[in-house]
Amino acid sequence: MSCSPFDLRDYFFQELADPQQRQVEAHVKDCQPCREELDQLRLTQAALFSLRDEEIPQRIAFVSDPVFEPSRARRWWAAFWGSSGRLGFASAAMLSAALLISALTRTAGPAPAAGLSPADIDRHIQQAVYASESRQTAKTTQLVHDLAQQTESERKLRLVAESEVEYAKKVQYAMERSRGDWKDSPSNPSN
Amino acid sequence: MIFRAVEDTDLIRQASRGSVESYNLLVSRWEKRMYNYLLRITGNREDALDLAQDVFLKAYQNLRKLDDPDRFGPWLYRIAHNEAYSLFRKRKPEVDVDDVAPEATGQGITMGGTSVFPVELSLAVAAALDRLSPDQREAVVLKHYQGFKFEEMAEILSCPVSTVKSRLYTALELLKAQLAPISPRGVS
Repeated sequence: MSCSPFDLRDYFFQELADPQQRQVEAHVKDCQPCREELDQLRLTQAALFSLRDEEIPQRIAFVSDPVFEPSRARRWWAAFWGSSGRLGFASAAMLSAALLISALTRTAGPAPAAGLSPADIDRHIQQAVYASESRQTAKTTQLVHDLAQQTESERKLRLVAESEVEYAKKVQYAMERSRGDWKDSPSNPSN
Repeated sequence: MIFRAVEDTDLIRQASRGSVESYNLLVSRWEKRMYNYLLRITGNREDALDLAQDVFLKAYQNLRKLDDPDRFGPWLYRIAHNEAYSLFRKRKPEVDVDDVAPEATGQGITMGGTSVFPVELSLAVAAALDRLSPDQREAVVLKHYQGFKFEEMAEILSCPVSTVKSRLYTALELLKAQLAPISPRGVS
């Protein structure tokens, strides 16, 4: 039986509080039987440690398998509630959004009339219609004018072409006369 | 001091959010210890490996139930203890596990006062552990080889600290009687 103030085995396993550890330590220095008891424990432990750990014959690893994994939504939900910072930020964002919406809905009213009477509006509309019609009329006039010009140009071109043909005939007639067969020519006006 | 870029607690948090890679890293840090714990309480390599795989799978499935990541070690060993005893009960349903007589695999080695070689000492230790009851052996394994505190052992074994100490100290007396007189060469 040990005469130590506390259980020597608790001391050996360092399960005592610090002051108690120190008390036993001091006691063991002056107590031969307790020292021998501790030596026996140390020898036993040394013997136990001669039995080495074995290497695991096959490494254990898992592959990502949906059967064993929580769903994406569940992971997100767990992560969301698991993070106090994220939760705080989300709360602050929701509060800010609520305040903003409240502020916007309070100030937003019916659109201002901008000081226009129905008569003014009618006048503006009539002016806009008149301006549009004027633009359309001008565009139509321009188109008619362009078309007339085009027709005139084509007529002139046709006249030029006809005069060129007439001129070519006259040239041919002159050439025939110059070759002397003019008298016998059935085309001689005197024959 | 060993510096780890990522602590176990970080890996546990990431794994509980579904990161299999983080869990695999965590497993790689604990698998050898777990395998040896199971090997010493079952005495069978195949059982130890199968149980280790079951333990890590069960731990992954229940990781969200772990409130304090700092308590991962005792929590994991609690699962392992339950799995091992479940296997014992399955194998020997008619016998109470606590009453199972220790399996004597040693050859009755008596070496009191005699110096022995490390291999002989290992055999003597294995034989001495075999002579303990399963409860006593598990207490020795958890304390000597796994380094748990009494409170953690009580959590793993689901019993009071006084019971843990009783089992351990009884086992220690038996082991001391068999092993302390043996003085291994090279061990003063």
